[in-house]
Amino acid sequence: MHDEMPGFFPGRPGGEHDEPLLDMLLERRPLPPGAPPPLHDLARMLAAAAGPAESGDLAGEDAARAAFRRRRSPAGVSHAAPRSARHRLTARPARGRLPLAAALAVAAAGLGSATAAYAGALPSPIQHIAHEYIGAPPPHYDLSQSRPVIISSSPVRASRTSAPRARQTRRVPASPTPLGNSHLHSKYPRYTPGSSFASCQPAPAATQNQGHPAPTPSASHPRPSPGASSLGPHQSHPGHDRVSPWPSASGWTPVPAGTDCPALPVK
Amino acid sequence: MIGAAFRDTLADAKAGDEAAFTRLFRDVQPALLRYLRLIAPDADDVAGDTWLQVVGGLERFRGEEQDFRAWLFTIARHRAVDSGRSRARRPAIPLEMTEAEQQPTISDAADQALEAVSTRAVLELIASLPGDQAEIILLRVVAGLEAREVARIVGKSPGAVRVAAHRGLRKLAGLTALPDAERAGTRPGVTH
Repeated sequence: MHDEMPGFFPGRPGGEHDEPLLDMLLERRPLPPGAPPPLHDLARMLAAAAGPAESGDLAGEDAARAAFRRRRSPAGVSHAAPRSARHRLTARPARGRLPLAAALAVAAAGLGSATAAYAGALPSPIQHIAHEYIGAPPPHYDLSQSRPVIISSSPVRASRTSAPRARQTRRVPASPTPLGNSHLHSKYPRYTPGSSFASCQPAPAATQNQGHPAPTPSASHPRPSPGASSLGPHQSHPGHDRVSPWPSASGWTPVPAGTDCPALPVK
Repeated sequence: MIGAAFRDTLADAKAGDEAAFTRLFRDVQPALLRYLRLIAPDADDVAGDTWLQVVGGLERFRGEEQDFRAWLFTIARHRAVDSGRSRARRPAIPLEMTEAEQQPTISDAADQALEAVSTRAVLELIASLPGDQAEIILLRVVAGLEAREVARIVGKSPGAVRVAAHRGLRKLAGLTALPDAERAGTRPGVTH
């Protein structure tokens, strides 16, 4: 390969003097009449390089127009399009796919929630709502996961004393300690002790004296431990299919399945 | 170049007017193919991919004619690079002559360029330059892009683009200024 010409102006060192003229060539501006002849030749060559279209310069026009028509038509892409073209044209309309993706996400979430409801895997309040509205199984009170009862010798109630009272009144008790949560039980049905049938009416023996609430469990008379109480209802009444979450330690009888009792308030 | 009517043409093409799109295509396609034939062996396929991408992004494009050309040549260069990578993963063994062997010699091209000033001969002469110089000259002269636009496309500074273009032009002038006897003995291949 030959080296570049040092410059178009003989007798001048370097090529920096021709730079304005070279810039004019690059910008396709006409050269001044006094420019060196090689530059005029070069200008003619560059003009030819940027000349009008020749045969073959418009190759691909039909394909480009077809792609333009496909883009505009709702029918989409024909099978005659090249594979790369199909890939790009089908991957392009992301705006049209957004509602579809949102609908699919909502449907998947609904299906998953329904499946979880029928599997009984939802939290108890939500499971209860699902039980009422879509016929899912009623909430299952997993007593094995109940919170530990705080055993205290103080006359303070054994419930979570640090938690706000208003908050506790809205909760379904996780631990079956009716005495510790006696303020909750006034809302819920009570069961006749020792009876062979279930009742939703308050039982006299189990009714606490409102003026003298039940004493707080103490170390000398401890309430059943969470572990014991979790086994208690199921083991002490093996003939029942379903049992009430309330223990029989205070003389309450679990409700057999099918008993028509009012629903537990969840809020 | 379309000129003052470019805005209306672009707006019509965006609205779905095929005639307006065809006008855009015919205005740019010759320069696009001449550029791609320099940098990509499968220039026609790369040009097709480029126009597919242009069609897909036409509605979102905002700008003037110079911006449109810069956008299109940027896409073309990216597609050419992709095509080159794809070819590199699938190397092909030439059955007969290699492409370099089929290229006309510089002396032939210089003769034709000076005598008939044919576009093809001039492009072949430009193709004999080092790759970056040839690409920059084509983008500046054939595609009609500014130095800063070319710099953005090729990934160089505007100053480096200017220097490379000047060197390339001087080499072209040197090739065409060679005496006939000396030119007859030069058969260098295409350097990229």
